Amino acid sequence: MTTQAQAKLKTEPYALGDFLSWIMTVDHKRIGILYLITAFFFFLFGGIEAFLMRLQLAQPGNKVLSPDLYNQVFTMHGTTMIFLAVMPLAAGFGNYLVPLMIGARDMAFPKLNALSYWTYLFAGCFMYSSFFLGGAPNDGWFSYAPLTENLYSPTHGMDFWIMGILLLGFATTIGSINFIVTIIQLRAPGMTLTRMPAFVWAQFVTAFLAVFSIPSLTTAVLLLLLDRQMGAHFFNVAQGGSALLWQHLFWFFGHPEVYILILPAMGIVSEVIPVFSGKPLFAYAAVVYAMIAIGFLGFTVWAHHMFATGMPTTTLLFFAGDTFLISAPTGVLFFSWLATIWKGQLRFTTPMLFSLGFATMFLIGGLDGVHLAVVPMDWQLTDTYYVVSHIHYVLFGGAIFGIFSGIYYWFPKMAGRRLGETLGKWHFWFFFIGMNLVFMPMHILGLEGMPRRIYTYASGRGWEIWNLVETIGAGVIAIGVLIFIVNFFISISKKATNEEDAWDGFTLEWKTSSPPPAYNFAEIPSVRSRRPLWDEKHPDLADWKMEK
Amino acid sequence: MSTLSQVHPMSRLSTGKVALFIILVSESVFFATLLVAYAALRDQSNWPMDHSLQRLTFPLINTAILILSSIPARNAIINIRAGKQTLSLTSMVVTLIVGLVFVAGQIYEFSHAGFHINDQAFGGVFFTLMGFHALHVFAGEVFLILNLTRTKLGDFSPQNYEAVELGTWFWYYVVGVWLVLFAALYLI
Repeated sequence: MTTQAQAKLKTEPYALGDFLSWIMTVDHKRIGILYLITAFFFFLFGGIEAFLMRLQLAQPGNKVLSPDLYNQVFTMHGTTMIFLAVMPLAAGFGNYLVPLMIGARDMAFPKLNALSYWTYLFAGCFMYSSFFLGGAPNDGWFSYAPLTENLYSPTHGMDFWIMGILLLGFATTIGSINFIVTIIQLRAPGMTLTRMPAFVWAQFVTAFLAVFSIPSLTTAVLLLLLDRQMGAHFFNVAQGGSALLWQHLFWFFGHPEVYILILPAMGIVSEVIPVFSGKPLFAYAAVVYAMIAIGFLGFTVWAHHMFATGMPTTTLLFFAGDTFLISAPTGVLFFSWLATIWKGQLRFTTPMLFSLGFATMFLIGGLDGVHLAVVPMDWQLTDTYYVVSHIHYVLFGGAIFGIFSGIYYWFPKMAGRRLGETLGKWHFWFFFIGMNLVFMPMHILGLEGMPRRIYTYASGRGWEIWNLVETIGAGVIAIGVLIFIVNFFISISKKATNEEDAWDGFTLEWKTSSPPPAYNFAEIPSVRSRRPLWDEKHPDLADWKMEK
Repeated sequence: MSTLSQVHPMSRLSTGKVALFIILVSESVFFATLLVAYAALRDQSNWPMDHSLQRLTFPLINTAILILSSIPARNAIINIRAGKQTLSLTSMVVTLIVGLVFVAGQIYEFSHAGFHINDQAFGGVFFTLMGFHALHVFAGEVFLILNLTRTKLGDFSPQNYEAVELGTWFWYYVVGVWLVLFAALYLI
């Protein structure tokens, strides 16, 4: 790095108090940080909602929340975590890292990038304003019609939900187009598609999933809006509409959405595990093909959310078999991570712990998914706590662990100082133990037939003890979050060390200063292998010398 | 705009064209899901549109008008490539006007459909598909107006006219979508 660039670095980026420059920014790194901070706030909102639900369910007959408020809270919990927390957290990492990792100076369309962020922020605030304007949406995050029609949902909550989803869909679509164009067009010399970091591949596949699946959600909510506001009858069976149409349209988006949430986390883990194992990612090509296969198959399994709707047997069999098929590419990713760890020089840092936590918890969630793909079992378990357990092992144990792995891993790059390792490990263990306390008993409750989304239950069914354990677990997770927040403020108040390469990394983002200057690289790097920084640090053992 | 037509070292494609292509793919999924909704609902309510020639005459004329508008849209590219800025400008104006004639025809068609958006499921399907197509015609018109203004400001040259191409491609897309919708709603 040249001294000139260093001098510029000192004066330019991240001057605190310079709010206007953050509001006007089109720098992908600043937008990435805005995404991460905003999404973390929404993550806290969603977490508070979850905690309120757990308090309500701690004992039978509790009256912490009214039934109506409980419905609003679980709807907003799901909507928040999926659309306002996990997706934008992943988008934040993507924004920050994709240009750095491919050796570009910015995204292809920086202004569009800013538009995407501000639309997201507005949509989130808009949805939350509904709590104060006559009641939040209360029909669950997948908002099944005809429950969502005027007749059954007369408040404006659903209208807030519809408009918010439309705005978020717009924000995600333009953001995804930006990712795709950036990755196709702006790679540094030598950064061929087969040399791109696995995280960039994950973002690439995710962006395609979003571009192909969000239109289906847009259609669904637009038709619902027309039903509610213009008197159309798309979901009104009496007038020639179809209630199932909503489910098909929603889940044609909804299942790819699951992979939109999890693939970026898989990408993060595929960066973290190799670095802390001191080895390149095992079977890189297989990992990339597996991600692409997950992307394709993700579009063909949507009706496994609808097994209980009375579909023909052949349809059931097709969607069940197809769902099993997805385990194959997911398994490829797992074995790649295991083989990367195998005989590696392991360093059990906090990011590594969170990545290993991801792998184990996601495995449990994945196996639950296989159970639910078995049609007769699904008939028994659908709409019980078993499903709630499955989605949380995948999205909390999976996506959120992956995202925290990324936060600990890239924090030194973004902030120029590390997050404390001791508190970080405390955070990890509180999360790991807490989540198993909350979500493991849900398997039992599901098998015992406790339906999801009920606001209370009678005593004497054997559900009390597990519900109490879950509520205690929720408290343990909450302490974990508090530890993280304390750790964040302690770390940020320490003097910056500005290490360029905090973890002895492999990829290009560690080649520039921490935090990077607005233009990322004083000189656009050129790339000869999948680990450009390794090559630079170990010229004798450079990867490109090993390749033919 | 040099950034749009800039060709980058690892890719021989143009950024603007890649972006437009992906936008159109996404748009196509949107129309496809609307058509799926149409297909799913069609059997469930009495489909009121009759396929007699008398009923079809006006929509056919309107279809022909929209197809013809793609000729001046194409001429806008050919002329700017040949350095004939004024002719290119004229082509865009003609496209714009013919497009507006189509929209006027659509409004006439809507008001003579004999049913409303709240008449059973088919009313919703018909006006939703038609309405979103009309919105795309408007988007195409806005694109044309931007290009018109920029041509007048001298932004384009025979070497640099990518936005004109993109505008025309979007117009082709609007015409193409119409043909699919016309076949689906009027002919099948």
